[in-house]
Amino acid sequence: MKRITKILIVALAIALVAAACGGGDSLEGREVTVGVENLYPPFNFIDEATGEGAGFDYDIWNEICERLDCTAVFVEAGWPAVIEETGQGVYDTAADGISINEKRKEVVAFSDPYMTTIQKFMVRGDESRFTTSDEFIAGDYILATQVGTTNELLGNELVGTDRMEAYDSFPVAVQALLSGDVDAVIIDDVAGQGYQGANADQLSLLEGDLQSDPLGFIYPHDSDLIESVNKIIADMKSDGTLEDLIKKWFIDFDA
Amino acid sequence: MTAIDTSLATSPTPPGAKLSFDRSTFPWWLIGILLTILFPLYKILTDETWEDGYLFIKDGLTLTFTVTIGGFLVAMVVGLVVSLARMSKRTIPRNLAMYYIELMRGIPVLVTLFMFGLVIVPWFFDLVGVGPRSPIATKAVRATIAVGLIYAAYIAEVFRAGIESVKKGQREAGMAMGLNNRQVFRLVVWPQAIKNVMPALGNDLIALLKDSSLVSILAVREITQMSKLWTGRSFQFFAGFMILAAMYLTLTVSLSMLLQWYERRIATP
Repeated sequence: MKRITKILIVALAIALVAAACGGGDSLEGREVTVGVENLYPPFNFIDEATGEGAGFDYDIWNEICERLDCTAVFVEAGWPAVIEETGQGVYDTAADGISINEKRKEVVAFSDPYMTTIQKFMVRGDESRFTTSDEFIAGDYILATQVGTTNELLGNELVGTDRMEAYDSFPVAVQALLSGDVDAVIIDDVAGQGYQGANADQLSLLEGDLQSDPLGFIYPHDSDLIESVNKIIADMKSDGTLEDLIKKWFIDFDA
Repeated sequence: MTAIDTSLATSPTPPGAKLSFDRSTFPWWLIGILLTILFPLYKILTDETWEDGYLFIKDGLTLTFTVTIGGFLVAMVVGLVVSLARMSKRTIPRNLAMYYIELMRGIPVLVTLFMFGLVIVPWFFDLVGVGPRSPIATKAVRATIAVGLIYAAYIAEVFRAGIESVKKGQREAGMAMGLNNRQVFRLVVWPQAIKNVMPALGNDLIALLKDSSLVSILAVREITQMSKLWTGRSFQFFAGFMILAAMYLTLTVSLSMLLQWYERRIATP
């Protein structure tokens, strides 16, 4: 009888330790390379003050690695090649406010969504020819965006390819808007707010949500990170960390 | 400015000589180039994805040609003016020309395109009060003029070399025959100069064709931009850029051969 009690106690102890660890897998200090564009504020950009990369993607991946015992190594990557490259295993993962879509799933695996963005039209602050998204679509105004984005796909659908101009990066598309070459930029609201922060009086977002997109991190299909990171994302959602990060970068942040 | 050597054989075959196969002079490289072009072509004909890519990208050819030919015409005209100014005995035109040449040759094409397309032209239109959407200044027109102005600097130096290569005696002979300065240039110097500079001009045309790919940064839908648009949505990077490379290679190699043929035709026996 005594022997059985002892065995039970040991078994219970093992179960408790296992449960304590079970909350998070450990990557045992390994390096995780994260592809980022550094041209998509406030997700990722080069901080003028420090000259270092900064943004939501940096914070969230540092936090994920904190919890998983890994080191996030950020690597600058070009858009949209980063998707193809991640699929090939050049990076362990990539973060760039990437909308989850079926076509991309053929190339990469997605994490569970960590946030949802709404696509909007961004226009010049003094725009007076149209005031709603519908008026913009009905006119013959020119729309710009970044090549290879879901914004480009939706823009093509809404105004047709003849009225679309796809630039290599969002900063160039926004510059074309500011200089009057185009009349609007189709962009995710959170990224649009990032640009508004930088040019508060010159840019505004049109009323009218166009489409909402869940965002995910991407991995090669055979990645062993997917499940562990999904667990952390769920934890961060329930303990409020994710909300804090979103507030920090997409609400309070002023570029 | 890279030159593509398309000399088919290194030793000239005398007319009437018996043609025999010579392993050491046979243009093996040309077979390689043809295979490089034929592989994507074969894929386009047999694979639906590649065919889709080709059909999408080929719509950019019109703009590639427009930028190349338009840019080259601008470069020839501006280049001639700059080269004449560069050889002028007067201080101001000569210095202006040298400034222009050093400026354009000293700044990378990509940077000049960004400057011209996104900064200078919008600023200029703002200054003169013209809307940026005026049809005379579409992004394609801006890109064409920008590429033309850049190559004008290179072509100005080519012209100068050509004009200076015409021997002084030719000029003096023209004068002796009672021609005036203008006539000497038009009838004696220019025809000889242009013949001397044909190879260099041809190289610049081919280089300009290749550099026309850079205007894709201004979202001008030439073939490079079309490839970016197509690969951005299909993720067929291998197919997209193989097709694009094969298109450029086809254009540059045929252009190079055409120029060689033309140079031989106008060559002084």
